[in-house]
Amino acid sequence: MSQASNNAPVFEDLRVGDDITALVRGPITTSHLMRWSAAIENWHRIHYDLPFATEHDKLPGLPVNGTWKQHFLVQMMREWLTPAGWLWKIDFSFRKLDVAGSTLTAWGRITALEERDGMGYVTCEIGIRNQDGQESTPGTAIGVLPLQQGKVVPYPYPDAFASHDA
Amino acid sequence: MSHITPEMQALIGIAGEVQTAPTPLGPDTLRRFTQAVMESDPVHWDPIEAERRGFGVPVATPLQPMHLFARPAGTPDTFERFQDKPDWDGMGGTVSKGLPSLNLPFKRLLNGGYACEFFQLAKLGDLVSRQSRYVELSERESSSGPMIVFKTETLYTNQHGEKLLRIVHTELAR
Repeated sequence: MSQASNNAPVFEDLRVGDDITALVRGPITTSHLMRWSAAIENWHRIHYDLPFATEHDKLPGLPVNGTWKQHFLVQMMREWLTPAGWLWKIDFSFRKLDVAGSTLTAWGRITALEERDGMGYVTCEIGIRNQDGQESTPGTAIGVLPLQQGKVVPYPYPDAFASHDA
Repeated sequence: MSHITPEMQALIGIAGEVQTAPTPLGPDTLRRFTQAVMESDPVHWDPIEAERRGFGVPVATPLQPMHLFARPAGTPDTFERFQDKPDWDGMGGTVSKGLPSLNLPFKRLLNGGYACEFFQLAKLGDLVSRQSRYVELSERESSSGPMIVFKTETLYTNQHGEKLLRIVHTELAR
């Protein structure tokens, strides 16, 4: 992978508690949901058929796909880490629906920093919140950054490193 | 009384069939997906940027391999089900993970979330395969009654057998 650009995060400058660059999308409309459903060929009607969602399934609106939200979180982490870093791990749980019409913010905050194997490991608390500040998708992510004058983060990222749980 | 049977427990750890996507990752699939997720990184469509960044050719976003297992051409149209069941919810258009059913005693399934590890990105032209196994099965009491929580691990690989990503999916049945 290529070396860091001028605006890439520098591991040695990061501090626990720092916010990472948030990503905002929205309002997420029915058209966004239909485009997503078509792209992944998921025809679950709750995402595009409002009467079915609200009358049959008793939902408050058309839910934003969980599959879209997981990519949104990954995208937020990768935009921050790219190009020198690698998003190694991410996990999240779906705790609350976001419905069409919402404006969503993917956010992250550094909770741990560790130098290991000649690289910098950044653990973040992450989540998605709507325009009312309601959180729906809490999780954690671990990114890997090169150290200054350190080695390049390997690509492909070796599975052997996966045993080093942070 | 436990709702988890010995037959369910026996399925833990057993690998399901290896499934291969019906087609290699093509440029139009990559374009539509990248646009739908509102991705801004040109490494997903610009060959020059992909080359400059060391990928060689445009690459998928990390989680796109999950969505490459669409219904193959020439197979029965799942929408025919609407003829007999007009209130069908439309689920089932994608291929299942190739695991035997747990025969859960509850009908309502909830998506609990995912834990993912990334090794490399699928490239344009890659033919992605996956193999799953149940890794955890537990029972708990929720406010609406008993609930079974089960986790499925899926490993995605390319045509060379190289690992792309590993995902553990948590689902809740109640």
